[in-house]
Amino acid sequence: MRPMTPRRVAWICAALGALLFVVVVISLRMGAYPISVAQIVMTLVNRFIGRSNEIPPDFWNVVYEIRLPRIALGILVGASLSTAGAGFQALLRNPLADPYVLGVSSGAALGAIISLAVAPQTPGTIQLAAFVGAAATIAAVYFLGRRGGQIDSATLLLAGIVAVSFLSAVIMFLMTMLPGRDLRGMAFWLMGDLATRPAISSQWLYLLLIIGAGSIYTTSSDLNLILTGEQEARHLGVNVNRVKLVVYVAASLLTGLAVSVSGAIGYVGLLVPHLMRMFFGSDYRVLIPASALGGAILIVLADMLARTVVAPTELPVGAMTALVGAPVFIYLMRRRVR
Amino acid sequence: MGIAAVALLSAAVPTSAATRPVARAGSQAAAPAGRIITDDLGRRVAMPAQVNRIVTLAPSLTEIVYALGLEDKLAGDTNECDAPIAAKSKPHVGDMQNPNLESIVALHPDIVLATTSINRVDTADSLTRLGIPVYTTDGEFRTVLGMLDSIGRMADLIGAKAQGTDLVAGLRARLDALHARLEDRPMAHVLFVVWPDPLLSVGQNVFIADALRWAGAESVVLSKQNWPRLSMEEVVRLQPEYIVIESDHSQSGDAELTDLRSRSGWRDLDAVITGRVIEVSEEAIRPSPGLVDEIEKLARRVHPEAFSETTEKRDSKYEARAEIDAAAKSAGESVQCAR
Amino acid sequence: MSATGSAASTAVATRVAGLRLRVEQASYAYEATDRSAPKFTLGPVSFEAQQHELVAILGPNASGKSTLLTLLAGLTKPFSGRIEVDGTEVSQLDLRLRAQRIALVQQESELLFPLRVWEYVLQGRYPYGRRLRFESEEDCLLAGNALAQVGADSLRDRWMDQLSGGEKQRVILARALAQQPSLLLLDEPTQHLDIGGKVELLRRLRRLADNNRYTVLVVTHELNLAAEFSDRIVLLHKGRCLRVGTPAEVYDRELLEEVFEAPIEVEMRPSGRPRVVLRGSR
Repeated sequence: MRPMTPRRVAWICAALGALLFVVVVISLRMGAYPISVAQIVMTLVNRFIGRSNEIPPDFWNVVYEIRLPRIALGILVGASLSTAGAGFQALLRNPLADPYVLGVSSGAALGAIISLAVAPQTPGTIQLAAFVGAAATIAAVYFLGRRGGQIDSATLLLAGIVAVSFLSAVIMFLMTMLPGRDLRGMAFWLMGDLATRPAISSQWLYLLLIIGAGSIYTTSSDLNLILTGEQEARHLGVNVNRVKLVVYVAASLLTGLAVSVSGAIGYVGLLVPHLMRMFFGSDYRVLIPASALGGAILIVLADMLARTVVAPTELPVGAMTALVGAPVFIYLMRRRVR
Repeated sequence: MGIAAVALLSAAVPTSAATRPVARAGSQAAAPAGRIITDDLGRRVAMPAQVNRIVTLAPSLTEIVYALGLEDKLAGDTNECDAPIAAKSKPHVGDMQNPNLESIVALHPDIVLATTSINRVDTADSLTRLGIPVYTTDGEFRTVLGMLDSIGRMADLIGAKAQGTDLVAGLRARLDALHARLEDRPMAHVLFVVWPDPLLSVGQNVFIADALRWAGAESVVLSKQNWPRLSMEEVVRLQPEYIVIESDHSQSGDAELTDLRSRSGWRDLDAVITGRVIEVSEEAIRPSPGLVDEIEKLARRVHPEAFSETTEKRDSKYEARAEIDAAAKSAGESVQCAR
Repeated sequence: MSATGSAASTAVATRVAGLRLRVEQASYAYEATDRSAPKFTLGPVSFEAQQHELVAILGPNASGKSTLLTLLAGLTKPFSGRIEVDGTEVSQLDLRLRAQRIALVQQESELLFPLRVWEYVLQGRYPYGRRLRFESEEDCLLAGNALAQVGADSLRDRWMDQLSGGEKQRVILARALAQQPSLLLLDEPTQHLDIGGKVELLRRLRRLADNNRYTVLVVTHELNLAAEFSDRIVLLHKGRCLRVGTPAEVYDRELLEEVFEAPIEVEMRPSGRPRVVLRGSR
């Protein structure tokens, strides 16, 4: 009998964190602009010791304006989507749940396309509009997904499916009405894109990530119990309704956040929790932080590949995660069946 | 641990330009400060005094740079820039929609040229943030003359005012000459096909409609949308005299005509039956100097009687075209008289 | 019952006396609105249960057994009356405190992700400590104890989805025991078991009640099992509590025939416990 201890959680997080660090370092090194590790280190060090003026402008640009922000955004998006995915899988009691199944990304896409139609050339509005769309969908699906005043997993899933199909229809209609030029931005948004800097500073986004993931983490003991049965969990003293609400809101907001700043990157929210379960088990006390770190690692890797395999052409990150994700998922499925 | 790494990273990410090192003006060391101008989007661009290295983000812009004789200053273009052929061998910075920022930085451009009709505003933003000046032209011309104005403006900007004036004047002269020839002719009714299936044509507000007019042809589609989608029934009702379809010239001769003859709905149109299907190259939908070439070619096909004598020298690559034009002309002539 | 002094002294009194559960005139109604008559009513029901007792809540289908169980578990508040465990009104209890006193053993539900037996049983310790909790050594000991009490020690490291029906039931029971409850509630636990399994389960419950000071309440419609193993029977019929007492007291032929709508004979066995047989056509 080896129960989960805080120490074990910490060790796993440390290991994943170290892996993330390595991946970040490799990703910093790769890119179209030729810059060596030594030069990168010099650039980083000079800034920290206050000698920014000695950094050649090109190096500054490449490291601080292009690569690091992209990596930082990748970590944010990967962690958000994976944590949300793990949360939704518990909330909906469905291992196939991904963060988009409840319509958050569809709502964000609708917001994005409306903003493209209305103000195509103003930067940042697309992200804001996407978030508003996501938030509106979260609220609508919540109200639709209730039964007797409380969240019911089956009803919620159904409400989400309805939302997705309805919103998709509206989006398709709008797409036929919009001139082609404006649609171009939409195609990128739909495929997932880490090149665009977020409209609000990363620090705020990271704060939201920590709040959101933290909220879900506080319910991880509860989720472990809920996964053996909702009624059983109630009898053990879990406030099931409250837990479901917290997880729904936190996971949806994390998804909305990620999708607003980077479009709908697929497979991460679905795959990473399953992968982490394979390695570390289904205990949510370790699964939540492991998924967050695992998602960050996956996205940083995928993005690195996306921008280097056929340089200077950049593949969309979403394409990369799908190319890697689909075979891995098929493998996982076959393993379960066996 | 992970959170610490994350926090470290977020601290490393600069949040304002104030943290950037001081020596930043463009990427040329000690370049004298230029002027601040406003581009077609109303954005303020800090132009360097001397423009020696240009990066273009759209094929039309590349073409303009070549037409201005500035190809030596062209440091890089996109994967899709293919006119003229020489542009293909320039260093590439990636796709039009998603250019690789690092490649652009590596080329040290003095100015990057973009257009609203092709490039994303996010790209311009990112480049500006990197301290690279970006000039965005408004690619939504309604008229060919508007396009010429824009070319002139851009030429002035990148320090090629004289070349620009000459280029624009030359193009204008050709258009005027064409206009003179076609003055008394009735406009031919054409359907301009951007894409056959789904059938996309051009609306009245797109410069292509204006270009058609310069060639003595009127688009039968009276839509305010830019790229209206038509049903086959609508086309049958309109029964255009000619079908003008954009295609690449990788196949010989009347590839498009043969293709349309095999499609149901299309093959019953008068224009297809009588073989009055005109192919135009990509230049016809590109707002660049090549458009005037296409206008002239189209005018010759649609109003051959106005061009009884050879008045202009043509590039050798158009010679082959002339043979095919003549063949198609004789095929359609008998029916044309009947109209 | 006369009210003797303050609630506190009553609580002390009941604990000392070994009275675990007291149900006083508890009633409930489904979908009672001002305009329409309620669809189903239960009660009023009154009975008591002590430590070491096994009480059977007996009745045919739709007699209100499950409703009563829900009330006993504190999941809903009775329309009228009181239900007290160890002197405290159950529906007033905080969720976790209630889980420390009352354990409800349900039919198994499907597990989504693989889980080991000891992990599952360890979850029974949830009501103790903080919400986000990591199990202590004491928790592990108690979980091990619980497994031993149901004779499932050897199953400790097995995966839950590889257990047989009977094994799984023992493990589920162990999780309930890990809660260290005063009151153990079981809802039709013999439903999917064969006769051997049924007897084994009731024997185990009997042992638990006798040796470990639990008060066990079993909702069932199995007449003979109830007669054989329970100390007290609460007989329900169409929402009304018809009789409370020992099996010998409750098993009256005419009463049972009316309640179960079947031709039966009641035989009294030497042990003092009745046995019910079908009156076949002769």
